[in-house]
Amino acid sequence: MSRGEVRTVLRQMAAITALSVAVAALFHLPLIKRFARGEFRDAFFLAEEFPGVRMIGAMEAEDLWAGGLAVFLDARPAFLYRAGRVPGARNVPFEGGATEIADELLAALSGRTVVVYCEEEDCRTSLELAKLLHDRGLQDLRVLAGGWDEWRRAGLPEEGDR
Amino acid sequence: MIRNRLVLTLFQVALGGLFIYSGIIKVLDPLGFAQDVRDYRVVGQTLSFLAAVVLPWLEIFAGLFLASGLMKRAGAGIISALLVFFIALVAATMIRGLDVDCGCFGNLSRKAGLGLILEDAAMLYMALCVLLAPRKGPPVG
Repeated sequence: MSRGEVRTVLRQMAAITALSVAVAALFHLPLIKRFARGEFRDAFFLAEEFPGVRMIGAMEAEDLWAGGLAVFLDARPAFLYRAGRVPGARNVPFEGGATEIADELLAALSGRTVVVYCEEEDCRTSLELAKLLHDRGLQDLRVLAGGWDEWRRAGLPEEGDR
Repeated sequence: MIRNRLVLTLFQVALGGLFIYSGIIKVLDPLGFAQDVRDYRVVGQTLSFLAAVVLPWLEIFAGLFLASGLMKRAGAGIISALLVFFIALVAATMIRGLDVDCGCFGNLSRKAGLGLILEDAAMLYMALCVLLAPRKGPPVG
């Protein structure tokens, strides 16, 4: 390619990029407005699709735990659960893409406030589990946004198998 | 590099179509794609969101201009740049030992791994063939 051709291609690439940005901004304007208002900062999900699911921090989780007001579900693999967990939490190891929940578990959680957590802020299994439980009829699901990592960093009680 | 016009046209249509398809799937589920971007743990929540909003449209328009033949080199140039970026990203993900979905085709996405790098490399070759092909000369004789 000659130097002139390279310049032309680069100009055209810039034009396509600008067009893409403009169309993206127009097409997703409602979503962008919601992001600007502070939504999706903890997790990328539409609250209206899962009205019973809410992200919470360690302080609210601690209040629920200390008052015995919620059932805690640990969505991490069993070996992490055994190493350390929120006292009294029940282990529900959750793989992304899973769609099955035991009837016995659903019955035990029915009508209760449920707090779900996974390893840390970047994990998404807790949210996926909460969405699945929501789809199965549970109404009050809270996801500990920073996960087990946040609980530990806050210096909150923990237990583990020796 | 391949110079056969018919093969290059096939590359244009196949690659362009694939990027249009991939972009449309992501446009339909921007938050799902944002989470896929976030899972790579390279950028934070805000940049993941912005990438999820803009990247799919860039794929669609680059694919459209490539497949249609209108500004095909520019389309091939953008797709080449995207593929180089994807290959580097997947390689870095493997080195870091992260287990993530590639986020390439929505629910049809696979794990980011060596197979994905080879596929991207094959597509990069096709895009570079179109990008670097000499322009049609004047008819001989």
